[in-house]
This record gives sequence, structure tokens and C-alpha cells, in this order.
Amino acid sequence: MYGTPRLSRLAPLLALILLGFVLPLLLPQYFLFIGNLLMMYAVLAIGLDLLLGWAGQFAFAHIAFFGVGAYATVLLQTRLGLPFVAAMPLSAALAGLVGMLIAIPAARLRAVYLALATFAFAEGAQWVFNAWDGVTGGADGLRIKAPELFGYAMGTDPRAFPFMAVVLAFVIAGTMYLTSSRLGRAFCAIRDSEHAAAASGIDVRRTKILVFAISAAYAGIAGGLFTTFQSFMNPDSFGFTQIVLVLSMVVIGGMGTLPGALLGAVILGLLPELMRTTMHSLLIWQELVYGLILILAMMYMPRGLWGTFVRRRAGA
Amino acid sequence: MFDLVLQSVASGVVTGCVYALIALSMVIVYKSTDVINFAGGEIVMVGGYLGLLGLSYLKLPYTLVFLFGAIITFTLGALFDRVVLTKVLGRAVPGQSIMVAMVIATVGLSYVLKGTVRLFPYAEDVRRLPPFIAGDPVFMGAIVLQRQDIAIVAISTLAMLALWAFFSRTMTGKALRATSQNARAAALIGIPVRHMRMAVWGIASALAAVAGILLASKLAMTPDMGVIVILAFAAAAIGGFSSLPGCIVGGIILGVMQNLVGLFLSSRAISVAPFLVIMLILTLRPQGLFGGPVVDKKV
Repeated sequence: MYGTPRLSRLAPLLALILLGFVLPLLLPQYFLFIGNLLMMYAVLAIGLDLLLGWAGQFAFAHIAFFGVGAYATVLLQTRLGLPFVAAMPLSAALAGLVGMLIAIPAARLRAVYLALATFAFAEGAQWVFNAWDGVTGGADGLRIKAPELFGYAMGTDPRAFPFMAVVLAFVIAGTMYLTSSRLGRAFCAIRDSEHAAAASGIDVRRTKILVFAISAAYAGIAGGLFTTFQSFMNPDSFGFTQIVLVLSMVVIGGMGTLPGALLGAVILGLLPELMRTTMHSLLIWQELVYGLILILAMMYMPRGLWGTFVRRRAGA
Repeated sequence: MFDLVLQSVASGVVTGCVYALIALSMVIVYKSTDVINFAGGEIVMVGGYLGLLGLSYLKLPYTLVFLFGAIITFTLGALFDRVVLTKVLGRAVPGQSIMVAMVIATVGLSYVLKGTVRLFPYAEDVRRLPPFIAGDPVFMGAIVLQRQDIAIVAISTLAMLALWAFFSRTMTGKALRATSQNARAAALIGIPVRHMRMAVWGIASALAAVAGILLASKLAMTPDMGVIVILAFAAAAIGGFSSLPGCIVGGIILGVMQNLVGLFLSSRAISVAPFLVIMLILTLRPQGLFGGPVVDKKV
């Protein structure tokens, strides 16, 4: 857990990249779309998990940073004519900056107040996406121009798939290094006790602001990924439903663990698709079933899927 | 112009009273169980639809409709606490904030309620309850008030007074207050804390349902009307999430503010006002406009 992760732990990531290049040749387009969606959710969930599971900050604003990242990636290309390769990192940085600005006042807040303030911020951000229609296209949405990476055009599922896989692999690797670094351990210390963390020389305020900024930057990266395989976006993509979805990915998967966040992203990301395709006649039940899943997961799996699995294995 | 301002203040007070009721229901739950109830808005919505059910299918008179809605939502809230939250609380993982699990459970409840209401075909159309008092509007100087509006203010005030009397005059109410101040100490002197939590969830849900029936006669009902909860959050934030009088004042401030923003700025700005209020209050004065300094609960 401490120090730098062993290289052998990075091996699955090579497999991920390899699959990213091979699968588009084998699978039909619909499966690739699902794969892209899940990889995007994975980046979002890992970013939220840093804040929620590692640093213990219960904040609702994640999806707003996702929106900032997505809108900025598109707008920097169409309005300022930047190439995608510059627009996406810049947008992630912008999302991180917004996250930092939110964190400066929010770092003082605890528990319920933090949750409410960030919830209000997220709703406010969605309002801005809606109301600033000269730039964001308002409720009518924005057409996304297919981004180009050094002459490699994306914008369709098979073309975006390898890029998504590479980015996700780097995000996972980065998270492994981050969480086992001194900073990552400071996150855990703050989660477990702010007083104890401060007593052992951790600058609590600075660390909180940092984790907010990093987590927001992850969301910004996910926003950039969104633009590589979707062709259209509107403020509905960044609403309360999405916050709950990503939040439940992290919590149902297992907070504070990388495999948990990935597992949660895959399962809860697949759920709406499964319901849409296989249980079409049951569409009206979708909300009800989803709510029940959330409630039951909180009742019977407080550690999330991954945490439960790890305990079972350790116990057996 | 002045008359117009006066008129919007008056009608702001009317909606503000309803917001205050919803905010009260959030705050009593938060104070005694440390849970932010994200399903609060959906309980309001269910209250509205129960009103519709009572009025148009069971043909109940309006007074009984309130009782009908309150009893059903009381049971619903108490059961949710007993069946779900007790379990979630009992399985708390050391080192993990239990709040996240609790909040997600209430979000789950909100989806369940919305999903259930949507199953009934009559939820597809936008509905509205008939006014409970008919008759000509009342003129008070330059202000014109519908009798309905006066009744809304009266019923909300009645509900608030009943709540106040309950908390300060009855043994159960005092036991509830003791529980919310310090659950462990309350348990030590023999207060059945678990029942108290159920009672709080029940009372809060009944309050929200009353607010829902009042609201449903003013606004159109849809299964998504639960988003109104953001206004209750803002009202509660003005009261510092702990003071009951504070959140009544907060509700009224918000109702009036919404109308004034609509009058002077734009109708578009109305919907962003509550978010701004929440963010400003929480960052500048997290204890609310009236509260004392924030104290961490230690026990």
C-alpha cells in the first residue's frame, strides 16, 4: 500500500491498452459504445472516490466539473481553434481550477454543510449551462465536432475506443501512484481524523483543497473523454441524476478502493443499458428498481461490493 | 409599482409558509438523526398525490384529506427509519462516514417514491387540487389575496404551532428534543431512542405531506415536483439547519425573495436564487443567519 506500486501491478493496464486496440476490430459498434461509456464513468468514479473514499469529503459537485470539462473541451476547439490535444488537458486543468476555487471556501465546511454547499454549486452550474446559451447552446445543447488527435479523427465509437483505453490506463496508473504517495496517505489521515492529521503535521486545509482540485481535474478529463465518442451534449447530461449515478458507483462498488470504483462503474453503468435493452417492457419500473438497489446496497453491503468480496476472501 | 411590490411580498409569504413547512420537516430529521433527507421533496410529492387520491377517488372532505395524507406518510416515514435506516446505522463501517450511506439510502427512497407514483397512469397528466375554499378574493388595502392563500397561511401556522406545542409541552416532544441533543445520554435516562427516531421520521413525513397537499392546490403536480426540496434546503440553511424558528423565517424570506427576483430581475433568475442563497450562507455564515457558532457533536 505504501511506497510506489510494484511494476507487476501495472501489468493489467498493459492488457487494458492492448484490448483497447484489439476490441474495435472484433466487437460491433453498440458494445464499443457501452465500453466507451463505462471507461468514461470509470474515470469519473475514480475521481470522486479520491474525494469521497480516500479523503472522506462528502461533496456533490463532481458532475459540475465533468460538465466544465466537456463544455470547455468543445468550446476551446470551436471558439478558440485550439487542437484537441491542447483543449482536453486545458479543460481538465480548468475543471481542477474551478474545483480549487470551490474548495477554498468549502474546505472550512464539514459533513452536512459541505454536502449542501456543493449540491447547490452543482445545481447552480447546471443552471449556468442552461442559461448561458450564447456559449453553451443552452437547453438546445451543443453539437460536438469530432475531435482529431494528430490527424487521427475520433467521434465514433470504434475510433474513440483505443484513446479511451489509453487514457483510462494512465488515470488508473496515476491513481495508484497518488494513493500510495505521501499525499495519498495524507488524504486517508484527514478522512480518519482531521485533528489527528493536523497533529501529525499535515496541513489539513491545503490537503483538502488539493484533493478537491485533483478530483475535479479527473472529472474534467472524463468530460474531455465524453466529447470523443458522443456527438451531442446538453445540460441534462450534467444533472442530479448523473451525480447520484456516479455517487452510487463509488459507494456500491466500495469506497476508498480502486477496484471498487471500477467495479461500481461497470455494474451501475451497465444497469441502465441492460434495463433499456433487455427489459424494455419494464421501463416504467426502472426508477423504482434503481431506488431499491440503492437502498438494499446500503442495508446489506455497507462496504460495497469490493469490500464485501475482500472480507469474504480474507475470512475463508 | 409599490402596490406591485406589496402584492408580490404578500404572495411570497404564502408560498414561503409552505417552504417553511418542508424545511421544518428536513430540520427536525437532521437534528435528531443526523440525516439530510434527500427524499423530503418526494414525500411532499406523495402527499400531493395522496390528496388527489383522497379527494377524487375516496371522495373525502378536505379536512379528512389532510389527515389521510398525514397518517399514510407518517407510517411511511416511520417504517423507512425502522426498516432501512436502523439497518444502515447498525452496519456502520469503522472509519467510514455513515452519513454517505444514510444519504444514499434517502436518495434511494426518493427514486422508489417517484417510481411508484409513475406506475399509476393518472400521474402522467399534470394535475392540480381544487382550492379548498372558494369565494371572492379578499382586498386588504392594495393587496388582493385569494381565500385559498389565506387558508394556506392559516393551516401552515396551525401546523407550526402544533409542532411547537408538541416539542415544548408534551413528554414525548421533550424526549425527542433530549434525543436530538444527545442520543446516548437520552438512552441512559430511559428514553426509547429507537422509537423516538421513528417518531421523528413519521412526524417529519406527515408535515411534508401536509405541505404537499397545500402546494398541490397552488402548483401543478408532477412526479418530479420533488425538486422543490432545494427551496427547503435553502430555507433550512438560512436557519442554520438547527433552528426551527430560523427555518420558518428562512422559508418566508425565500418565498418573498423569489417573487421579488422575478419582479425586478427576470423569471429566469428565480430558479438560481436558492442555490446562491445556500452557497452564500454556508460559506459566509454556516451557522445560519440566527444560529450561534457551529459546534461539533462529540458523543
